[in-house]
Amino acid sequence: MVDGVLMSQDILVDDFLTIFVSSTLVLIFGGFYVGIYTAIKVNLLKKWMMPLGYFFWILTAYCLYLMGSLMHVNELTAKALVVAAIGLLLLPHAVYYMQDHVHQENEH
Amino acid sequence: MANSYLKSESKKLATWYFTVAATLFGAQLLFGLVAAIQYVMPGFLFEILDFSVARMLHINALVVWMVFAMFGSVYWLLPDETGIETVGIGMGKLLFWVFTAAVTVVVLVYLFIQVGPADETSIWFIHEGREYIEAPRWADLGITVVALGFVANLFMTGMKGNRSGIVTVLMADMIAFAGLYLTGMFYTDNISVDQFWWWWVIHLWVEATWEVFVGAIAAYGLITMIGAHRKVVEMWLWIEVSMLFGSGILGLGHHYFWIGTPEYWWEIGALFSALEPLPLVAMFIHVLYDWGKMQGEEDAKGQEISVITNKPAFTWFVLNAFGNFLGAGIWGFFHTLPQVNLYTHGTQFTSAHGHLAFFGAYATILVGMMYLAVQGKNGIKVLNNTKSTVWATSMIVGGVVGMTVALTIAGYSDVIISRAQMGATWAGYFDAQGTTWLVQGMVWRLLMGVVTFVGFLFLAKDLLSIGKATHHVR
Repeated sequence: MVDGVLMSQDILVDDFLTIFVSSTLVLIFGGFYVGIYTAIKVNLLKKWMMPLGYFFWILTAYCLYLMGSLMHVNELTAKALVVAAIGLLLLPHAVYYMQDHVHQENEH
Repeated sequence: MANSYLKSESKKLATWYFTVAATLFGAQLLFGLVAAIQYVMPGFLFEILDFSVARMLHINALVVWMVFAMFGSVYWLLPDETGIETVGIGMGKLLFWVFTAAVTVVVLVYLFIQVGPADETSIWFIHEGREYIEAPRWADLGITVVALGFVANLFMTGMKGNRSGIVTVLMADMIAFAGLYLTGMFYTDNISVDQFWWWWVIHLWVEATWEVFVGAIAAYGLITMIGAHRKVVEMWLWIEVSMLFGSGILGLGHHYFWIGTPEYWWEIGALFSALEPLPLVAMFIHVLYDWGKMQGEEDAKGQEISVITNKPAFTWFVLNAFGNFLGAGIWGFFHTLPQVNLYTHGTQFTSAHGHLAFFGAYATILVGMMYLAVQGKNGIKVLNNTKSTVWATSMIVGGVVGMTVALTIAGYSDVIISRAQMGATWAGYFDAQGTTWLVQGMVWRLLMGVVTFVGFLFLAKDLLSIGKATHHVR
């Protein structure tokens, strides 16, 4: 059952903590990125803070890379993680665009 | 339960469901406490209420109180959404009593009979031995009848009244909810096949139908509490539904890694598990965006008043957006890829994820609905917080987060020793169980469980008395 398709290599004992911390940070940093982006768009934060939001996305992408490397993910999963990172980058833009568009349609 | 402010029979029935749900929530926490004590002191209530029974009551009460609260939520919102009284309300009331009686008998059997002769009699009259849905077969059939009656009421009302987007989503969702329960009712001799179908109930319930239900309730709550535009909210609801069904259904693959299913499930499970947090992120943005937008419009008009008409409920709804993201998203994501799940599967990590995910994704929004019912029942325009609200919210949230952290630390010890170093052997399991980190983690879990239970007592007091407070806008 457990062959080389996904389990190409065992995880080193010393890598577990880094894997758990980095995978947690993926979503914590991701949450900061999404939170800052949304807060700026609804005028709860100043616009100049946007680069800080994108900085958190870069940290997210790095943690994802670190996690995937230490887990020894195969090529397909690595691609899926890249798609997930790009998806997270684009998601708030798409959501904001759609929300704003529908709001404007209903208000004017 | 009669109240002069509630004219709708459907809303009165909803308060019945919420009352039983809150009682079962207390029972869930109480039996969880017993199980937590037994982890630290194994002799506690030995041969009176053993760990296996306390745990069974803990996790089954969790599922059942949420189902009660979900039915209550639907009966609450139906008259508002459809503009008519719920059709078949008499049948609804009868089914409520059938459901409550069945649950009471099942709990009494778990408490006083506990173990059967391990033949057909056990399956029919004691329990079926499937985690989370252990009801014996007679109760299974009863629950199915109740669920189908509930779906019939929802459909008859939806077809007759004004069918909003929220009601339409609920109609589709509740068919899946009722239908999926059937997959956990038949027996097979092969445990892998049995587990395969059992997960259809548990996973597809919680990660598809329950999440969609949460989306619908969040939409109703945003419209009710902050006056969000229906078209905006419903537009977003449909997107969430499609995302959740997409990631939720195929994400089911992450439960198939170690039960002998074909290996392509590893790839599918890994891919869609990685994508599962995305709809949760979207839901999180949705709630924050709508609140910020509505409050911003009020501020622009020079109004300094809050747009929120039910502060406790809104707090629980926001906690839902965060809790869903943290519990289901973060704690789910970090141990669902197969590469790491090989080591984490069935350890205290699973328990940490389970505690925060069920609480964050479902308990929060259902408690919020209970506050909406309290507001309506007492005829209040703007419901404000009381000291009990603040204590209840802080202690329950702090307690559950504390339990999750304690279980995560214990889980790390579990993973490293029993899996990575000792190779998933029995010796490894027992070595891990004895480590300081795991033992202390369990003590902290117990302490945080006590905090949660005290928080629940504040919640019960608050729900029963908040309507009588004089500082609300009536």
